[in-house]
Amino acid sequence: MEKGSKEKLKIGIYELTGCAGDALLILDCEKELIDMFKAADIQSFLMAKSDNIDGELDVALVEGSVSTEREKEELLDIRKRAKTVVAIGICACFGGIQAAFLDKKDWEKNFKKVYGDKKMTHTKPLQSKPIDAYIKVDYYLPGCPIGKEQFLSTFNRILRGHPPELYRFSVCVECKWNENDCLLNKGIPCLGPITRAGCGSICINHNLPCVGCWGPVEEANLTSEFHLLREKGFDYDFIKKKMANFSGTGMADFLGELKGEKK
Amino acid sequence: MRIIKLKKDNLFPFLEVISEEADLWAPVKKGDKHVFKVVDDFSQIEMNSTRTILPPRKIFLPPTFDMFSVSEEGYKEDFSHITKKILFGIHPCDIHGLLILDNFYKQAYLDPYYLEARKNTLILGLSCWPDEYCFAKSTNTHIIEEGFDLFFTYLKDFFLVWIGSSQGDDLVRLKPELFDEKLTDKDIQTYLNWQAERDKAYKWDLNFTAMPDLMELKYGDPLWEKLGDTCLACGSCTNVCPTCGCYNIMDKQFLGGKDGKIMRHWDACTLEEYSEVAGGENFRKKRSDRLKLWYTHKLQAFISKYGKPSCVGCGRCIVACPVDINVRTVGKALLGEEEDAFWIRLNKEVTK
Ligand code: SF4
Ligand code: SF4
Ligand code: SF4
Ligand code: SF4
Repeated sequence: MEKGSKEKLKIGIYELTGCAGDALLILDCEKELIDMFKAADIQSFLMAKSDNIDGELDVALVEGSVSTEREKEELLDIRKRAKTVVAIGICACFGGIQAAFLDKKDWEKNFKKVYGDKKMTHTKPLQSKPIDAYIKVDYYLPGCPIGKEQFLSTFNRILRGHPPELYRFSVCVECKWNENDCLLNKGIPCLGPITRAGCGSICINHNLPCVGCWGPVEEANLTSEFHLLREKGFDYDFIKKKMANFSGTGMADFLGELKGEKK
Repeated sequence: MRIIKLKKDNLFPFLEVISEEADLWAPVKKGDKHVFKVVDDFSQIEMNSTRTILPPRKIFLPPTFDMFSVSEEGYKEDFSHITKKILFGIHPCDIHGLLILDNFYKQAYLDPYYLEARKNTLILGLSCWPDEYCFAKSTNTHIIEEGFDLFFTYLKDFFLVWIGSSQGDDLVRLKPELFDEKLTDKDIQTYLNWQAERDKAYKWDLNFTAMPDLMELKYGDPLWEKLGDTCLACGSCTNVCPTCGCYNIMDKQFLGGKDGKIMRHWDACTLEEYSEVAGGENFRKKRSDRLKLWYTHKLQAFISKYGKPSCVGCGRCIVACPVDINVRTVGKALLGEEEDAFWIRLNKEVTK
């Protein structure tokens, strides 16, 4: 939108496969919600209102991963209608927990285990993938769920025509700011060094290791983290599962290359 | 400098009096480590603490704080986080750390937040005993002659108290009857014995005089690539170092209105974004280049400018780095001595 234009930005908030935690978090911004609806023209937000319109959009916020043919089509349609697409939450950004089975065969096996030979009639199931497997994504807002402060700041910046300003370093930085004693140094498998900051190192503040729910940080040194955990006594399968748990696709290349390493 | 004596039992009554007008910050336990915190209950103060997880600079420039409030009228500096403080229990190396930050924020680049916080904080130092990571004797920061208002040397039943400033003297005058002006020969001998024992207690050392030349001579050494391959770019070394002072700023605008804040947070040259400029160009995209910068700062550049290293031997980077990249292992590697370190083991394992 041009600066100074009186028209409010047209925004759509969409949910694909996920727990709806990100949409819920947006609704949970109680103090700011009225300002949000005042500042933008929210055309579609299924969790918040019933008079939803599927028209042209300035910005689409998309939560969840793609796990059916119908979602894929919905997503392609959103991309066609929206000038800017923002992936919100770990599922949209990296596939989330439902994409933890990286291998197509593993996924097929697991699918069979859950659904048996049932015929899927209303849509075709797909192996779960982040939205950028199908469309171009302009901005990513990770989190499980996304953080309130980061969401509001991103929303606000987008309204003003600025790109989001996110922390680009790892959870360790916030962890140190919070003056935690490092769990990894005590032999506890913490994924802080390879995970993007933004959550305020909340798990470590409560003495729990980071499980990587904000997805990999841009510069994640997966090789070093992997071997460090190996040296601390964890086995290949454990580390692989841990790394793939929330952000399978973000780790896929690395974990794929690692195959030969299995001891 | 005047030196007086305080009986051990008189410490808490003294702290009681002086903490009436200011927050008293002191080291307390956090798990098996220590942190500086505001204390009301003096029995929580850890008199034999080792290094705190974060250095005392967090008390002057917190990891994050609001620097300006912004409105249609313009910017307004926000000093609301700065209050009157007394910092008790800070060790000599950390006082040196503050003096090094002074070179930066009080001389090279005047930082109003730092200046204001420094003005409002009294420094009450405390002697310490080295553990296996300390090497302050190598950096000559195990003793301190300036930079404090009072300094307490803890000698079992009593303290010798150095009065380092008129403000320190004012504190003593709040309750002079707690102190003894006269020291006996025995007191002096006790102190000398303590000092000799303490100096012998350092468990390792690093030849700092060799470091500037070695940094120069080994700037192109493959060592740096190995370090870069292993570094997690987690920023912990930088965040825990008492002499690091870089920061970044971020806008915090409020929805709908025109008001906002500008937030300041600690930054670290070991992080990727640090050397990125407008347009996305990054001068130190490689972790090895960033580590070179950090170690140049600690072991070389500061020495040529100020005649001392900007490492005070606190050992925090040794404790903090998950992959053993720290002044000890890097310093030793520059000297051609091999330490047992994860980054050395990893390179053997992955490249074999
Ligand atoms: S506890 Fe985890 S997040 Fe915190 S510094 Fe250690 S590795 Fe990083
Ligand atoms: S510490 Fe790690 S697992 Fe916990 S909320 Fe933050 S990113 Fe998620
Ligand atoms: S470089 Fe390491 S030992 Fe030296 S002052 Fe910094 S944290 Fe302490
Ligand atoms: S040297 Fe160690 S502490 Fe410093 S950024 Fe690299 S991994 Fe983290």
